[in-house]
Amino acid sequence: MKKLNIALAGNANVGKSVIFNYFTRLSQHIGNWPGKTVEKAEGTLIYGNYEIKIIDLPGIYSLQAQSPEETVAREYLREGKPDAIINVVDASVLERNLFLTFQLLKTSVPLIVLLNMADIAKRKGITINRKKLERELGVPVVEGVAIHGKGLENAIQKAIAIKEKGRKTGKPAKLRSAKEIYRKAESVSRKVEVKTSGRMPLDERIDSIALHRIYGYFLLLLVLAAVFYSIFTFGDWLSALFYGFFDWMKIAAEGAFGSEAASGILWNGIVMGIAAGFAVAIPYILPFYIVFSILEDSGYVARMAFLMDGFMHSIGLHGKAFLPLFLGYGCNVPACIGCRIIETERERFQASFLATMVPCAARSIIILGLVGAYLGWHWAAAIYLFNIAVVWILGKATTKFLPGEPTSLIMEMPSYKMPQPKGILKRSFERVKAYITVAFPIIIAMTFLISLMDALGFVKPIEELFSPITVGWLGLPAAVGITLLFGVLRKELALIMLGSIFGTTNFGAFLSPLQMLVFTLVMVFYIPCSATIATLVREFGWKKAAAVTIFEIIFALLLGGIALRLLGLFF
Amino acid sequence: MQKISPEIEEYLESVYRRKEKGETAKTKEIARVLGVSAPSVSQMFAKLARAGFIEYKPYGGAVLTMKGEKIGKSITRKHRLIEKFLAFIGVKRKIHDEACVLEHAVSDDVERAMERLVREKSAKSIMDMKRGECGRVALISAGRAAKRRLVEMGLTDGTRIRIERQPSLIGPIEISVRGSMLAIGRGLAAKVFVKPCV
Repeated sequence: MKKLNIALAGNANVGKSVIFNYFTRLSQHIGNWPGKTVEKAEGTLIYGNYEIKIIDLPGIYSLQAQSPEETVAREYLREGKPDAIINVVDASVLERNLFLTFQLLKTSVPLIVLLNMADIAKRKGITINRKKLERELGVPVVEGVAIHGKGLENAIQKAIAIKEKGRKTGKPAKLRSAKEIYRKAESVSRKVEVKTSGRMPLDERIDSIALHRIYGYFLLLLVLAAVFYSIFTFGDWLSALFYGFFDWMKIAAEGAFGSEAASGILWNGIVMGIAAGFAVAIPYILPFYIVFSILEDSGYVARMAFLMDGFMHSIGLHGKAFLPLFLGYGCNVPACIGCRIIETERERFQASFLATMVPCAARSIIILGLVGAYLGWHWAAAIYLFNIAVVWILGKATTKFLPGEPTSLIMEMPSYKMPQPKGILKRSFERVKAYITVAFPIIIAMTFLISLMDALGFVKPIEELFSPITVGWLGLPAAVGITLLFGVLRKELALIMLGSIFGTTNFGAFLSPLQMLVFTLVMVFYIPCSATIATLVREFGWKKAAAVTIFEIIFALLLGGIALRLLGLFF
Repeated sequence: MQKISPEIEEYLESVYRRKEKGETAKTKEIARVLGVSAPSVSQMFAKLARAGFIEYKPYGGAVLTMKGEKIGKSITRKHRLIEKFLAFIGVKRKIHDEACVLEHAVSDDVERAMERLVREKSAKSIMDMKRGECGRVALISAGRAAKRRLVEMGLTDGTRIRIERQPSLIGPIEISVRGSMLAIGRGLAAKVFVKPCV
């Protein structure tokens, strides 16, 4: 089998990862906002008698890289020596995209231009004469719509043809300054483009509200409220359904094996682990991913970053740093890696630090599954708002400790796109599946382990060791001590293990409302999970990672104790 | 380039200005503009023709050669810039006369520096523009990294941009450039200067 390396290169948010996923059947993060891909990804496609390695690169606007994620792309293009580059071009913004194309033409790698998003260009009233563009550039030009998989095979065939018949070199025009290259891009796009309007009336109408100086913020609040409310109500309903099922199962099991067996190690360990995973985690994770994907695909996330620019400036960052923070609600790991889109090291670290305090999906399970389910949605909402306030205050504080000139937002605003239900569901289920395969084994193993430890009498000493903090300072049951320890592995594990220790997922049976709030607050701010710590070490070195970790442990415990004493006045 | 006397420069400038208006430089006209007698203009024209700055036929007027036009054009340009510059630094009276004297003393380097300053100051920051207004990028006085990023996003010198959304009290500005929509933070936007579109 013959081998071929093809790199996907192009501006941010032009659909490189969509194409990559189509070819390799992998699931790179996709969505409608710039800066999702920050690391290069590799996958394989078997096509005819070729084994084709496809490399997905972060989006770049030129070959002069600045931020770390762009450096990755540039280095690969310069040193990775791919056999061909598929230059993915947003057909609706041809002129700007050609700037990179002309730079790629200067590298000696054979180029294929893939005009993506022909549908959006059409909506904008732009048609491109493919043949003419081919003549102007001197390289093959293919038209396509990546999300529907159109025209993509064609690009691969062209790459193979180049490999077999020798390459077309293109016309590396002697262009030096950015101004010259842009002048050329302008003249070429004028020659090949027919524009009837160049504007999208619907986008403009939506943006006149979505980005409005006053209504924009109202809409943002409304959207967030709707997001929160829909996740909560759907999760609550699904959770009740699962609870009912497992309660029935428990009764059935007790009937079959007697209550002795049902409270044994196996039952508590394994069945409770699975039960808690289903009843507490999945119900909230599933709607969360669905809503998250809808937001990402619509193009509204970039608008959120736009609206939040002022807010972010008040903590020494800018609007683009909102994007990784937003990702943090899904998982802190990609959030910390996603901070690579930020230009300076100082801001990158600050944003990562703040991102580790954004309640990820695992912590949302605790917030929604415990506080939301037992105290009502308004308390859950209050915790999210309180979290935002704390992140803001800590952001303010860190700008004092990490001084430096703040940079400014420069971000391309994507066109709105109708989220595709099929794609959204597919991705959400993939994420849930990934959650089950990654988290469930840990949850089951750990709940089993703790039941075993309990049976062997190891749990009590550990509980006693921590009891000055857990019982004395935080006013929680002693059993929390050991779950705080295991919570480092996965945050939701702390809650699920509590259920396992007490032998029930009815948390109301052993936690008072006040204890639920304190426990949740501690878990929200408490130490980043092990995967996040590992990411911090990789991105910033172990010193900074240790500093963040230690700070967050102390901060969460302090906060929990204070919350107990203040909230105690109301309960 | 050899040193040319201010007097010659003054003559070449006035001939160039006639040419700009599409008129030939008649002796009488030049005499009136420079406030000298017609015979001395004729005499000077003969001298300039010998030096290769103009072609001159008695009674037909003067026509600039390539060499002469280069000087005339440069002096005229300096004159206009100096007028702008003097107005900018607050000089109120006799700006034309002052410029006539200074234009012969300003080197090309000094001219460039003055031009940059005037351009920077006479151009508007995009923060001060209204929605729908358009402009051509004149100057980006931001740090290197931010400037380079703006340039690679298409904001090269002279590029036409349009204000799509005026910033709120705290928010960024949105402009369209080369068919794309770009959000720029207000701090940086204040450092992007444009000239009105024509």
